[in-house]
Amino acid sequence: MAQPYLAARGLNKSFGPNEVLKGIEFEVHGGHAVALCGENGAGKSTLIKLLTGLYTPTGGHVEFEGQPARWTDPRQSLAAGIAVVHQEFSVLGALSIAENIYLGAEPRTRLGLIDRKALTADAQALLDELGITLDPNALVETLSVADKQMVEIAKALRSEAKVLILDEPTAVLSQNETRHLFRIINDLRAKGLGLVYVSHRLDEIFEICTDITVIKDGVVTSKGPTADYTHDSVVAAMVGRELGDLFPAKAATPTAGEAVLEVRDLVVASGLPPATLQVHAGEIVGLAGLVGSGRTELARALYAGEAVSGDVSLMGEPMPHRDPAGSIEAGMLMLTESRKDDGLFLNSSVARNFSATTPGLGAHHNAIPPGHEERRASVLKERRGVVVDHVGLPISALSGGNQQKVLVARLLENRPKLLILDEPTRGVDVGAKADIYKALRQLADDGMALLVISSELIEIVGLADRVLVMRDGEIAKELRGEDITEAAIITVAAAETASHHGVAA
Amino acid sequence: MSTLVRATRAQPVHLVVLALIAIVFALGMSTSDRFATPLNIANVQDQMVTLAIVALAQTIVILSGGIDLSYAGALSFLAVVFAALAGDSGGTLLLAMAVVIALGVGIGIVNGAITAYVGVHPLITTLGTSTILAGAALLITRQPSGSVPLFFEDLTYGRIGAVPFGMLFVIALYLLVGFMLWRTGFGTRIFAIGDNEAASAVSGLPVRRTKVAIYALSGLLCAVAAMHMTGRFGVGDPRAGVGFDLRSITPVIVGGTLLAGGKGGVLGTALAVILLALLANVLNFMNVSSFYQWIAEGVIIIAAVSFFIGKDKS
Repeated sequence: MAQPYLAARGLNKSFGPNEVLKGIEFEVHGGHAVALCGENGAGKSTLIKLLTGLYTPTGGHVEFEGQPARWTDPRQSLAAGIAVVHQEFSVLGALSIAENIYLGAEPRTRLGLIDRKALTADAQALLDELGITLDPNALVETLSVADKQMVEIAKALRSEAKVLILDEPTAVLSQNETRHLFRIINDLRAKGLGLVYVSHRLDEIFEICTDITVIKDGVVTSKGPTADYTHDSVVAAMVGRELGDLFPAKAATPTAGEAVLEVRDLVVASGLPPATLQVHAGEIVGLAGLVGSGRTELARALYAGEAVSGDVSLMGEPMPHRDPAGSIEAGMLMLTESRKDDGLFLNSSVARNFSATTPGLGAHHNAIPPGHEERRASVLKERRGVVVDHVGLPISALSGGNQQKVLVARLLENRPKLLILDEPTRGVDVGAKADIYKALRQLADDGMALLVISSELIEIVGLADRVLVMRDGEIAKELRGEDITEAAIITVAAAETASHHGVAA
Repeated sequence: MSTLVRATRAQPVHLVVLALIAIVFALGMSTSDRFATPLNIANVQDQMVTLAIVALAQTIVILSGGIDLSYAGALSFLAVVFAALAGDSGGTLLLAMAVVIALGVGIGIVNGAITAYVGVHPLITTLGTSTILAGAALLITRQPSGSVPLFFEDLTYGRIGAVPFGMLFVIALYLLVGFMLWRTGFGTRIFAIGDNEAASAVSGLPVRRTKVAIYALSGLLCAVAAMHMTGRFGVGDPRAGVGFDLRSITPVIVGGTLLAGGKGGVLGTALAVILLALLANVLNFMNVSSFYQWIAEGVIIIAAVSFFIGKDKS
């Protein structure tokens, strides 16, 4: 085989005594798309940072077109032709699409001023080449998340690239949008670019990647052509266990328990059709649908009382117009979609985060005695399997999985009757996911009612006893038992929605 | 979107400000015959020059996601230094100008460097430098002192018809800064950093250097305002800048620039400065105490921001 465009040769990276990567061998050839798989914390991000010169290796070296590359700044690797589409978007809402694409490299007139005409024309040409139908002068803040992702890709490709690294590019995309991204990726590969694709979604990897490299605990555990792998063998290489072990057994008779939540004709926002649903004790109901289909809005309407009209009752008690405090008191709690935005108190300790909604629980009167918070937290930490040396540490020091366990533990302190979970395993590694699934099933078995929103179909299929599929703000279909398959959900969720978004189909 | 709208960063809210200007103007005409005279219109313009210049500086800083509270101390300090050095000849005047401009830029560089490289929040950095400079101004002189050459004083009072020279200068500055924001890499970087600093850094923009340049430009404009102000007073007043720290922010916000940065422009600031100056003038004609003018200004800024928030929610 020809020389790889980009390669890692015996790459080591340590932070102090902490060895993050050990002897990594990794190659990207032109015309190939290499999947980089591994749990969160396995070392994928570190490897990408080494490949682009953001970090310098402590051993081994990066090779570019057969020559050792000693980059010390990402601008050097970019100049050589290594483009990166970052997981956290680097596009700017207040600037136009064209300004974003050429940020810091705007076409200039002879006087050194920005050539506005050329800027628009160049951006238009690049968008056309990628098959993206967007107005280069539109402000990025007016775009959908998917279109922002497209702008991000156009920006990465503004100069002649040889290798394109995509870090979790579909995390925020719906199925249709993902399809369009895949067409672009396949086109680029056909043109001879080498691609590195980082994703947690195995389906996608098998669909568009020609090769797979698996990293576990900083070591390459397996690599080869995609054809040599199955879903299970990739997961086994990542975590050393089979996929089936991820999900605990489902409830035997889902709707046997009493109805905990009853929603009748709930209108979330004016113009949307009314929603009617029940969640019973002992069952996990999955709320599926594309991003933007109204899942989160429905959940928030239930929890925060942000609905136009309709009846909501919990345990047979009607719940009139209310706020989160009223819902918590009634026994309805919600885990929000974004831990960092509206979940954690990031500047506070692990202990304070555990007890944030029930500060004085177990203490006499209203005064919280010194050490009470820490003592409670130590007990909770053991019970919920949170890995942390000391509960006085800031919550920000914990991994995503452990932060999520703290949040769930906090909700459980309120003894909920109904628990709403919006993307409960987002940004959580496979090991922690399995723990969370097990915990959720245990809660259902103990008689709690759970409503779970997830963009990961495999999660809905593996976890839910009953699935409500949403489309355009409406509950389009209910699936039960054997009918719950990824294919069935996609068919309902993606029907007739192609015309609703800006990406060219 | 038409190029003109994009280049001027015109927003619907500017129409509201324009309508308010028209209302205040009509109110002025109905209050006094002396309101719509060339003399009074020129007066209004003279009174807005200092605010117009520091608000322009503040617009640039706020667009970049920062804030500059150093004008209060810096204006006083630079005014005192300028009057102490300007003497009575062209030679001493030029020397004084060079020193004051260098000091203004220097103050800005210190503000920018502490903010960008040490990481102190600009609110704290510039509050600190403002306090230091206010103290320094009073150490130099307790009461207004020094002088400027008579021809310079005359120059700041000069007019073409109903338009003072100072106003022409302000118009030129606004056009220049507007052009800079639209057509230079520096201008684009200001918006980019104000919108999302981390994303700007990932995109390879020299964030910290740009911040230093932004505060340096702010200091330069502050020096220009100080020199004009001193020319008008004829002496260096060690309390000349009092109040301009917060007053510089009002027109920026009323003009539709986002306090968080990244969005807005100089057109809105210009309109808001005109509105505030006209309002003060009309209230004078109506014999309303200047304390009521403060109240009006306070109501306007809160109303403006409430208006933007209401618009975002809908």
